Amino acid sequence: MSGLGAATVALGVAAPAHADATPDRPVPSGAFALGVASGDPRPDGAVLWTRLAPEPLAADGHGGMPRRPVPVSYEVAEDPSFRRIVRRGLAIASPELAHAVHPEVRGLRPGREYFYRFRAGSEISPVGRTKTLPATGRPASSFSFAAASCQAWYHGHFSAYRHLAAQDLDAVFFLGDYIYEYGIVAGGNLWRAGASVGPEHGVEIETLEQYRLRYSLFKTDPYLQAAHAAAPWLLTWDDHEVQNNYGADESRYGISPEHFLHRRAVGYRAFYENLPLSTTSLPAGPDSRVFRRFDVGTLARLNILDTRQYRDSLPTDEADRQAERRTLLGAQQEQWLYDGMARSRATWNVIANGVVVTAISDDRTDQWDGYPANRRRLLSAMKDTSNPVVLTGDIHKHVAAELKADFADPASASVGVELICSSIASDGDGAVTDAYTKDWLRHPYVKLYDGRRGYVHGRMTPDELVSEFTVVPWVEADAEAPAQTVARFVTPAGTPGLERQV
Amino acid sequence: MTTQLLPPRAVTGLRGAGRLATIVLDWRPVPWSTVVDHYAVYAAPAGAGWRLLAKTVYPHYEHRGLKLAGEEWSYRIVTVDASGTASRPSSSVRVASKVSVTVSGEPLAVVGSFDGKGLELALSPGGYARYPATFPNGVDFRAGTDSPGTGWSYLQPGPSDAWAGRRNHLFRLRFDLAAAPAADVDLALWLIDSHASIPGTAVLSVNGTTVERLAFATGATKGSTIGDSTIPGSPLKPSYVEKPLPRGLFQAGENVLELFKDQGSWIAYDAIGLYARH
Repeated sequence: MSGLGAATVALGVAAPAHADATPDRPVPSGAFALGVASGDPRPDGAVLWTRLAPEPLAADGHGGMPRRPVPVSYEVAEDPSFRRIVRRGLAIASPELAHAVHPEVRGLRPGREYFYRFRAGSEISPVGRTKTLPATGRPASSFSFAAASCQAWYHGHFSAYRHLAAQDLDAVFFLGDYIYEYGIVAGGNLWRAGASVGPEHGVEIETLEQYRLRYSLFKTDPYLQAAHAAAPWLLTWDDHEVQNNYGADESRYGISPEHFLHRRAVGYRAFYENLPLSTTSLPAGPDSRVFRRFDVGTLARLNILDTRQYRDSLPTDEADRQAERRTLLGAQQEQWLYDGMARSRATWNVIANGVVVTAISDDRTDQWDGYPANRRRLLSAMKDTSNPVVLTGDIHKHVAAELKADFADPASASVGVELICSSIASDGDGAVTDAYTKDWLRHPYVKLYDGRRGYVHGRMTPDELVSEFTVVPWVEADAEAPAQTVARFVTPAGTPGLERQV
Repeated sequence: MTTQLLPPRAVTGLRGAGRLATIVLDWRPVPWSTVVDHYAVYAAPAGAGWRLLAKTVYPHYEHRGLKLAGEEWSYRIVTVDASGTASRPSSSVRVASKVSVTVSGEPLAVVGSFDGKGLELALSPGGYARYPATFPNGVDFRAGTDSPGTGWSYLQPGPSDAWAGRRNHLFRLRFDLAAAPAADVDLALWLIDSHASIPGTAVLSVNGTTVERLAFATGATKGSTIGDSTIPGSPLKPSYVEKPLPRGLFQAGENVLELFKDQGSWIAYDAIGLYARH
């Protein structure tokens, strides 16, 4: 940790050189009630995360922690019994960050599995598993991942995470809507059998303490904690981390842009505090950079996008929707993405984003359908990119689609594939088909539609990508639903498309 | 490891404006370098002590639900930062809300109750999908005879509403006067909510004479399914129109007030009425 400055101490990444790992006063028991996590993996390390919260649902959002800094030590080992410890460190959990710590571990070996745990006073955390990425510029034999999104805790149990956590994964992509801002009301939207919430959860969240509390509520789920502890996560957001359907500084609910930035600031702050993100994503006021890139050796390049913070306004009319200048990503992120795709030497180029790229209908203006010129630029960049794969969430349905060079001509060449994962719980049980099925399946390039809850599993090798769409038949009644694979596709390297096996 | 948490700055520039049933507060936010958890709005009615009224992340607060007869309150703001540390209170400001014509006037014709709720109106709180079949020709309501629960739709759509046929919609209020009014008449048109981006406008006319085009405030697009804006934490964004109408517009016998929504999307009614001055 040498070389890290006061800023990283304040950010819960490190501790002063002289810092004592023993707290001044005892740490409340059960301080690790929100579990542990890792994320943003690199060939030599990852971000570790925990947040001290002995009373996760304390209404002030501070998790029952006293308003003072607490030293938190961590250990990283090659084995789950911690006989071969390879790194130790100390970070300061401060009330300014709701007692979250984000130590950024370095010096690990590439492509290896590691185990980590935290200690605060006499409190010891559960053990988490993480994995470093393969060495930069070197071949890798495979990369296994899961993709998940849209976890409305109040709509159902997180049984999909129970199954996801049992997989042997190199990483988990989370594609947005980690929380929802809506009030949670029994008899209204609280469909999760056996769950109850206090009145402090019954209103739309707005303040930092309310956003913190909402993360705590969702994170009390044991299967979400298990999924975080199973593999490093690569996260982006969609809209509900702030407010439904917002874009840039524009609320859809009558809040002025000047005021809405204050709401965005606390939403982004709580996102950083509660997730395993590196300090590059720490917000500065209402701004936060979450678009970033990771390389899986030469097997894959992972581009994590932000499809909320920089987008143009909703179109005012059809001419505006079609305007060439319109952008969903913002000029800087667009250029960053196209440059990264053009320079990539990877076999697979993954784009993880919040909203659907595939053309479905002109009135779906919150998706890429509202930004056709930006989509054309993206598809054009894909033509010159090796094996583009888009991972998406948002719509609470499993959808697999081939991305066409020109969606106006469905017979045009496929330039990539889009794998859209359904929700973990949002919209409750769901059904195989629903009112929107025809709308999606009328397009020949859409190869799958299933309206039940679940996640997508993918395995990349130098030769192919195998994607499996997993569902759980119910989520409202309990967390006991079995996992079912409803579709398996093979995408051969060099041949963009979806060959259905199951 | 003990660290003294320094309190954040108090806000400056607190100011208030009295409106109908509402006092609107604004202040200068602290700089972005302070990570704000929320601003705590403290309030004191005349002759009473301070109490926590609300927490908000915005440098703005609307104290709603005040008495129609007008109320006077004092306010001050406390900044609470991300560590939970509170600032000293800001300077205070004293503000009075306006008196509504629904209190100061004599009702001539009223539809619904001016209470922040639209629940007593037809199709409320979420029956907008039945509007086209229930009110194919808009609303034609006779005060004193028709019932608000069946005769006055809680939503008045506009031409931007696909669910209502993307066309203009006329709401007509008929009422009788024993004699032509001796003074100007006051219109009270209260909404519990409206569309957040395109509430639009409506043409107001009385007895065939166009009075003016009323522009509606942006709402929260929640009033199409929620009928009560008075529930604590309600996401609805009520707004109020009260304006004098020249007495020459009115006559003895039957009078007709019309609202022709030919621009924008829907508005959600709380109540509408006409009042004579004492």
